[in-house]
Amino acid sequence: MFARILSGVVVGIDAREIEVQCDVSGGLPTFSIVGLPEKEVSESRERIRSALKNSGFSFPAGRITANLAPADLRKEGVGFDLAIAVAILMATEQITRPQRRLLFVGELALDGAVRGVRGVLPIAMEVGDDVDGLVVSHDNAAEAAVATDVPVYGVRTLHEVCSFLNGAQEIRPTEICINGFSEQAEIIRHDLSEVRGQLQAKRALEIAAAGGHNLLMVGPPGAGKSLLARCLPELLPTFSRDESLEVTRIYSTAGLLEAGDALIPRRPYRAPHHTISYAGMVGGGHGVPGPGEISLAHHGVLFLDELPEFDRKVLETLRQPLEERSILLARAGISVRYPAAFTLVGAMNPCPCGMLGDPEQTCTCSARDLMRYRRRLSGPFLDRIDLFVDVPRLPTDELFEPNACESSQEVRTRVDHARGTQWVRYEAVEGCYANAQLDGEALRIHCALNNEANTLLRKAVARFALSARAYVRILRVARTIADLEGADRVLGKHIAEAVQYRASGLWMHNA
Amino acid sequence: MDGAAGEANACAFLRESGYEIVARNWRTRRGEIDIIAREGDVVVFVEVKARTSDEFGGPEAAVDKRKQRRLIAAARAFGASTACDLPMRFDVVVVRPEGTTVIRDAFQVPS
Repeated sequence: MFARILSGVVVGIDAREIEVQCDVSGGLPTFSIVGLPEKEVSESRERIRSALKNSGFSFPAGRITANLAPADLRKEGVGFDLAIAVAILMATEQITRPQRRLLFVGELALDGAVRGVRGVLPIAMEVGDDVDGLVVSHDNAAEAAVATDVPVYGVRTLHEVCSFLNGAQEIRPTEICINGFSEQAEIIRHDLSEVRGQLQAKRALEIAAAGGHNLLMVGPPGAGKSLLARCLPELLPTFSRDESLEVTRIYSTAGLLEAGDALIPRRPYRAPHHTISYAGMVGGGHGVPGPGEISLAHHGVLFLDELPEFDRKVLETLRQPLEERSILLARAGISVRYPAAFTLVGAMNPCPCGMLGDPEQTCTCSARDLMRYRRRLSGPFLDRIDLFVDVPRLPTDELFEPNACESSQEVRTRVDHARGTQWVRYEAVEGCYANAQLDGEALRIHCALNNEANTLLRKAVARFALSARAYVRILRVARTIADLEGADRVLGKHIAEAVQYRASGLWMHNA
Repeated sequence: MDGAAGEANACAFLRESGYEIVARNWRTRRGEIDIIAREGDVVVFVEVKARTSDEFGGPEAAVDKRKQRRLIAAARAFGASTACDLPMRFDVVVVRPEGTTVIRDAFQVPS
């Protein structure tokens, strides 16, 4: 009266195979689940009892013990329901024991329906050669199938699982059509040409995309900052399948995939409201910490509108992930690392009233207001931003003029090319994926200037009293501008353009 | 219908349903079991609830947590005294003027 089958659990974005052992023996009727189950796992007893009865099986009399091995790993989530139910049916010989090694993940509804759970993709990725098949909810079948070569069987009810195991019903393994992915990844839904004017900001977006630079847009309300930011994910280099797998893995862990979703075909765009908490931004929550906005924006764009309105503590926590491209959430007894390689785009008004620098309207803010507003962003935080660009209010005639500007598609072709160059160039440089990470020795080698460029940069540094940090930033941006042009060396004109994107004099502590 | 008549009625009903009656009114200091029966390899502890009307709530409602605890204690004692190693179950037989029904696996030992 003993049975064992496989299941799995996610811890962060990593998965572990779990062996579900079930023993049904004589004695008073008890049903216990051991092996460090959290509350939701213990509650599965009630779901399993009802699901078995309502699927036409009998719930066995006597003493039932289910063990989830390894017993020292804390078990969270509702994905064990299906495995435990099947183990009970096997132990009581209500279904035949499968000859193959199958892994079961799914939640049971009281009527015996098999519901989708979060984290199926990481579990499928972790499945080894020793497993012959995966049985998951129909809702999760697509995401499981993209991550493994093992056959994936999508099921809708417990009854269906049993007919499948008894051989009474055939279920065809889920197949995923990969071609649809690259087609979908090509589609541009937010095109640059739909935004009026703002040529300098558009150029800044192109540079940000091409070099992986973080960007801050400063401009009055209604100038189009949000619209511009919304275009950035589709300017970034074409979304590859491997990148998508990483992103989908995070979304699967967070339970944000829609039923039936396979790979996410678009780079993420996350725009959290400025009231977001610390845990919402970097990740957290009780039990195993879940991913935050910075991880949900992995390989995509994190747009922070009204940047100075964000809690300063929340902004400061971004500094480390911006450097490391991942975040380690360490809690008592558990620590989880989530990837967080995102492009940060900030937007803010030039001053609290928004009118500073407007040729036609007057700013009503006092110097003190202005200083307090700007001071909400710390120097070390602004240091992580390479590009600063003004997004002024559109002059009336420009607003009504027909729009003549490049489409996102054209820009992305150049971006793809520039990124390709960098990819090859930095292959041997550790911790450097694009120009935005250039530093130290690599910066000196790859941004070597000729005399003309050098003189120009010296002049700019002297004239605007630039710091060493600003100097480095200009070099990085100039490198990207040169890459967009396909130039081997950084020339004077590249420096001249890069100087325009330095922080304006209003951030003296930073400029 | 009094308790004894209800239990006789329940026994007849259980026999018809294929149960084998092992003992009636099995008593310990901790509690009493109305009927102990066997259905195949399963030992069934039966609590009989007889009602003439549902005025005070259905008879199912009468097996509350306290009553369950007493039945479980008695069942434990029975298991120990007979060294029984078979799977066990608690059923409730409901005897009403309009007919008799059984609630199989009515409750479990909480863990």
